[in-house]
Amino acid sequence: MTKLTVNGQEIEVDASPDMPLLWALRDKLGLTGTKYGCGIAQCRACTVHIDGEAMPSCQIEIGDVGASEITTIEGLGEDGSHPVQRAWVSGNVPQCGFCQSGMVMAAVALLEKNPNPTDEEINDEIVNICRCGSYSRVRAAIHQAAAEMQKG
Amino acid sequence: MTKHDKIVLSRRGFLSAAIGTAGAVAFNLTIPAPAHAAAEPVELHSWVVIKPDNRVAVRIPQVEMGQGCTTALAQYVMEELDLDPVQTDWEYYDPATNQARDNVYVHTATLASFGMEMLFMPMRTAGAQIRAMLVQAAATRLGVDAGSLSVEGHAIGDGSASVSFAEVAADAAALSVPQGVSVKDPSQWKVIGKPLDRVDAFSKSTGQAVYGMDLQMEGMKYAAVKQSPVYGGKLISFDFDAIKDMPGVIKAVAIKAGPTGYTVPPTLWDIIDWEMDDAVAVVADTWWEAQQALNALPITWHEGRHRATSTDSIEADLGAALDAGGMVVRNEGDVETALQDAAQTVEAEYHYPYLEHAPMEVMNATALVDGINVEAWAPTQYGDEALRIAAYAAGITTIRAKFHMTLAGGGFGRRLHNDYVSQAVQVAKQMKGTPIKLIASREECLARSYYSPIMTARFKGGVDADGNVTAWKSHSAQGRSVLQPYGMTRTVFPFANINVQYSSVEDTPLPFAWMRGVGHTQNAWMNHGFMSELAAAAGMETVDFHLKHLRTDAVAEDRADKDDAIARIKRFQRVYDHVLSKAGPAQEQGKGRGRGVAVYDMSYVPGFHSSCIGIAVDLRLEDGDVKLERVTASVDCGLAVNPQIIEAQIQSGIMFGLSNAINGKITIADGKVEQSNFDSYDILRLGEAPQMDVHIMPSEEKVPAGIGEGAVPVVIGALVDAVWNAGGPRIRRLPVRDHDLTLRG
Ligand code: FES
Ligand code: FES
Repeated sequence: MTKLTVNGQEIEVDASPDMPLLWALRDKLGLTGTKYGCGIAQCRACTVHIDGEAMPSCQIEIGDVGASEITTIEGLGEDGSHPVQRAWVSGNVPQCGFCQSGMVMAAVALLEKNPNPTDEEINDEIVNICRCGSYSRVRAAIHQAAAEMQKG
Repeated sequence: MTKHDKIVLSRRGFLSAAIGTAGAVAFNLTIPAPAHAAAEPVELHSWVVIKPDNRVAVRIPQVEMGQGCTTALAQYVMEELDLDPVQTDWEYYDPATNQARDNVYVHTATLASFGMEMLFMPMRTAGAQIRAMLVQAAATRLGVDAGSLSVEGHAIGDGSASVSFAEVAADAAALSVPQGVSVKDPSQWKVIGKPLDRVDAFSKSTGQAVYGMDLQMEGMKYAAVKQSPVYGGKLISFDFDAIKDMPGVIKAVAIKAGPTGYTVPPTLWDIIDWEMDDAVAVVADTWWEAQQALNALPITWHEGRHRATSTDSIEADLGAALDAGGMVVRNEGDVETALQDAAQTVEAEYHYPYLEHAPMEVMNATALVDGINVEAWAPTQYGDEALRIAAYAAGITTIRAKFHMTLAGGGFGRRLHNDYVSQAVQVAKQMKGTPIKLIASREECLARSYYSPIMTARFKGGVDADGNVTAWKSHSAQGRSVLQPYGMTRTVFPFANINVQYSSVEDTPLPFAWMRGVGHTQNAWMNHGFMSELAAAAGMETVDFHLKHLRTDAVAEDRADKDDAIARIKRFQRVYDHVLSKAGPAQEQGKGRGRGVAVYDMSYVPGFHSSCIGIAVDLRLEDGDVKLERVTASVDCGLAVNPQIIEAQIQSGIMFGLSNAINGKITIADGKVEQSNFDSYDILRLGEAPQMDVHIMPSEEKVPAGIGEGAVPVVIGALVDAVWNAGGPRIRRLPVRDHDLTLRG
């Protein structure tokens, strides 16, 4: 049994400590909003927050998480009202959508650190793969969310 | 874990999504409370379901894989029924129903950008028929003449009395479907042509969207799968004892080679490789445990006759086919004499690599076999075929099979093959009563796929002293493929002397797939690139040279397709003009800055064209690498059903084409694919993406043309020109990043 704190709740996961967090979330806890795309830290579809930091959950063994707070896309809020999500919806960002949980989580973490990122900073921080090529709208939605968040 | 309890889905009907609420179209009507509404949803004419709360679900016969069909196709029915977007849902068609009802859904394979076009009449007609049925039922109920009634806000009335759709749905369903009902005149359209928001933007921005890979069922187990690493290899044995004590492991099972497309009677589909090889699956409590055990499982394969095949040996075979001469697929004038008489001749050889689609969601399917029945779920581009494959793999008739479509995390042609459905059913058959979710790792997906075929083409062209192309000769040879010389034969330029040959080298190991842009992708950029080489030989700017040859007066009088050829040239001219004006003046060319411009319309045969798309690529060559700056696209797509989705699809096609052309290649050594994951098969990232400006051209057309693929072939032609114009190398072999991109001396 491994103890994890996921979306503000403490839970026990019955899995060996070397299981990647991604698979514990998906197959043990049913939190399927976090996606698998590569398993090797390339695509970032599996991005979650560990103590607020965007991390690829396929690279983190559950035994190493300790007391850190894990936030998944489901934990951003049930009603999709996070400004980043609102910008995503109003900007019609998703196509197939499979990368978008990871994109949203990466964008939220970026805006927490840097409330008004430049295009260059977005380029450096958002390294997620979108095979559908939604990048233009991702960029526009990040700027939109930044503007909304600054209005408060 | 109360907030995020494991989501256990019911085994059907789990896919129903609300049409987006942000109102591009305002329907400010109060919907009357249904007084005698039916207690059960009522299906009308196969295409809509009217629910007791008066919401209406539209059936969608195409897979949603990002292209937005669940929004845009629904607009057809919404228009005819005057549906309120906020009160409209969608659900997938059911393949078994489609089979039982004689293909009532008309066009159920999602391919070739055909969906919006092929369903334009059928879905509007169905909507109009359903409207007539509802109105007739309301007239009877209200005791008034049907002609006095109008439809608004999911209700039918005449100003003094009204009934809701739900109240009369059951009565309407009992009526026969009226024939000869006319659809709305385009002047009456309120929804078609409007940029409705995507119905799935919310669920996909909140992690709530359920893809095939996300299905969960009571008692479900997970399977990881590995096919013979060498194409055509056979499974000899595996040693389950070696892994049986690993955590979560339940079983290892053999999966037999067999068809992955099973069409009876034989059709066009049968000439394609609907085959998969032997495989092994490991079943465990979680997928990761299954994959770990599979990695550790000792497996013995018989590698078969392709064990020594490599990219080099395949290219040598293509070269031999080119030396031998091919099937003549177009021949006009006298190309050999014209070449002899030309002031200059140019020759070049072009190469296109194998590519894999790499949709973000890996291949997966879920299946349950319970003795005499099979039920399966998967993201697939062809649900009808998936149903047949599920039945075939379970060894039962299709009558006893059910298949459910799920959301797909991309497809791009890969999911026309239902190998993963067969695999999941074969595992489930060996574990009766247990739902099995089979998932192929990214490594397995890249190594064992169906590929856009490798191609080599040789060109020879002649130019006269005034810079006119007087002779054009091409011969392309493809690895295992369907006959797809169309990009070569369908050059828009009216060359007086043209000879086009084609060869297919069948004995290449990698099975064939269509991929977004299909054969046009291989052909169009090569044709374009060679035309640009002739421009250089003639000492002309590439764009001027292309425009100079778009001559309606050069179309031969005796050409059977003369009118079509002239109309096509005029369309290309309009699109060139549009994209050149939108792109604006180019920066000074050379010294690392380049622009390329291309136009293409994915025409397969005379009289059949898709959207005509013009693309200008502006880039820099810097530090030996390509930096994309801006891409401008002009799109003549006829009727633009949903402009914001079209914009997204064009941007998507641009990125798909650029990513493949700049980075993409699948290579083979010892009969095995060498790329294993995104570290060796990279996709362009956000920081590498250009600014993309998409312009939808005004059109008088009242019919839509496809937009999912059209940008892919065009953008590659523009890209290779831009590299050259920047002072880089002439790109005759993709991908671009395999070249030394330092500036020419
Ligand atoms: S699945 Fe974790 S980075 Fe791709
Ligand atoms: S929206 Fe499909 S991968 Fe990004």
